[in-house]
This record gives sequence, C-alpha cells and structure tokens, in this order.
Amino acid sequence: MTVLGVIRPDDWNIALFVHILGAMALVGALAMVVVALAERDLRLGYRSLLFGVLPGWIVMRGGAEWIASKEKVNDLDPTPSWVDVGYSVSDPMLVFIIIATVCAGVAVRRQKRGGALRGTALALTSIMLLAAFVAVWAMATKPT
Amino acid sequence: MYHGLLFFHLIAAFLLAVTIVMYSAVALGATSSPRMLFVADRCWDVGGLGTLIFGIWLALNLDQYDFFDGWILLALLLWFVATGLGQTVQRGIGGDDIRSVIALHWIRTIVVIGLLVTMIWKPGA
Repeated sequence: MTVLGVIRPDDWNIALFVHILGAMALVGALAMVVVALAERDLRLGYRSLLFGVLPGWIVMRGGAEWIASKEKVNDLDPTPSWVDVGYSVSDPMLVFIIIATVCAGVAVRRQKRGGALRGTALALTSIMLLAAFVAVWAMATKPT
Repeated sequence: MYHGLLFFHLIAAFLLAVTIVMYSAVALGATSSPRMLFVADRCWDVGGLGTLIFGIWLALNLDQYDFFDGWILLALLLWFVATGLGQTVQRGIGGDDIRSVIALHWIRTIVVIGLLVTMIWKPGA
C-alpha cells in the first residue's frame, strides 16, 4: 500500500491536485471563519463562509469524485474505509456550511453582535474544522 | 510509520494553507485584526517547521525516495524561498509599504502552490 501511495499513474495527478488544493482552501477558510466569529466580526465570518468555505468545499468534493473515478475506489467491494470516512465527513459538511452561512448572514443583516446565530455558526464551523482533520487523517493513513 | 509521517506532514501543509487564506483575505481588503494575524503567523511558523521536518523524515524513511532526488531538492529550494518571503511579509504587514507586502504575499502564495505541484507531480522522480 505504501508503494502504491508513492507511485501513482501520472494522469491521476491533476485530479489529486484539484482535490488537495480545494481541501486546503476549505480548511484555511474554515479557520478564518472560526477566528472571525470568535472575534465577533460577523461580516468577515459570513463572507469567508460564502466566498471561501463554500467554493473550497465544491472544488474539494469535485476533485474527490474525480480522483475516486480514476482510482476506481468506488468499484471495490467492500469500499475502503478511508473512502467511506471521506464521504461521511464531506457530504454532511455541505449541510453544515449552508446552515452556518445562513446563520452568519442573518446575524449580519440584523447588525447585532450575533448572539445565538453567531454561536451556532461558530460551533458548526469548529465541528467542520475538526472533522476536516479527521478526513486528512483518513486520507493519509488509509485505515482498512 | 510512513502513514503517520505523511499525516503530520499534511497537517503542517494545511497550517500553511491557513496562513495563505488569511493573508489573501487581508490582501483582498478584509479587515485584519491582531489576533487573526497572530494565528496566521503562528500557523506559518509551525506549518513551515512541520513540513520541513516531516518531509525530510519521509524522504529518509522510504526506500523509494532519495534525499538528493531532483524533486526533493526543488521542494527544499521552494520551501526556503517561501519561508523567506513569509518572514518578510510578517515583518512588513504593520508597516507603511502595504502594497509591496501584498505583492510579496501573492508571490509566496504562488511558491506554496508550486510546492504542492512539486509534491504531487514529483518531477524527476
């Protein structure tokens, strides 16, 4: 498995690059949202969710599907558990992103310090950040 | 051993991404706070050190890699360039010449993306 991880066909590289680039943008934007919302900068938190986290997730998830189709991991029976972990983390994350973005957006429109809406967005974003590191662990260690 | 090292190497790389995203937001006009810049700078410091240490450890740990492979030497060169640019950006962010700091940040961003390309394509491997 280590050798397979080190040596891969060249035509997988672009899909892997897109996947990792999206994941990096996603994690970076999630961290920025956490810091912004913790500092009660609702506008920055909202914009980071809308223009950073969401596009990052789309690129990461699209890249994941692309590399999965090239590696044909979904055709394996049973599907490797690290692939399942990836889907289990990334797919619910979209729901979390939408809820957090709506909460932050409403909080910005109300022009208040945020209260429960800010707290909800902050909690969801923190959970997503932790979940992203679980996904990185699964992708790197590939537990069977 | 390989997977553990790769995990910590990736975590360190993701910390670099946190810095790049935060500084990019500032470069694009977002309000920067001292706390956000502090987090960004510490992520850069820890991520930079982590990528170097775990990257070299990975290269020494695997028989398939040699420390003097072209792509590893290229990655080391890019790492030093990115680190130098990062230190300059950190020092200059509170100064008067913000335009040159922003320009240096974008160059650093391109260098970090170049590092990612080098890690994936491994030219000369």
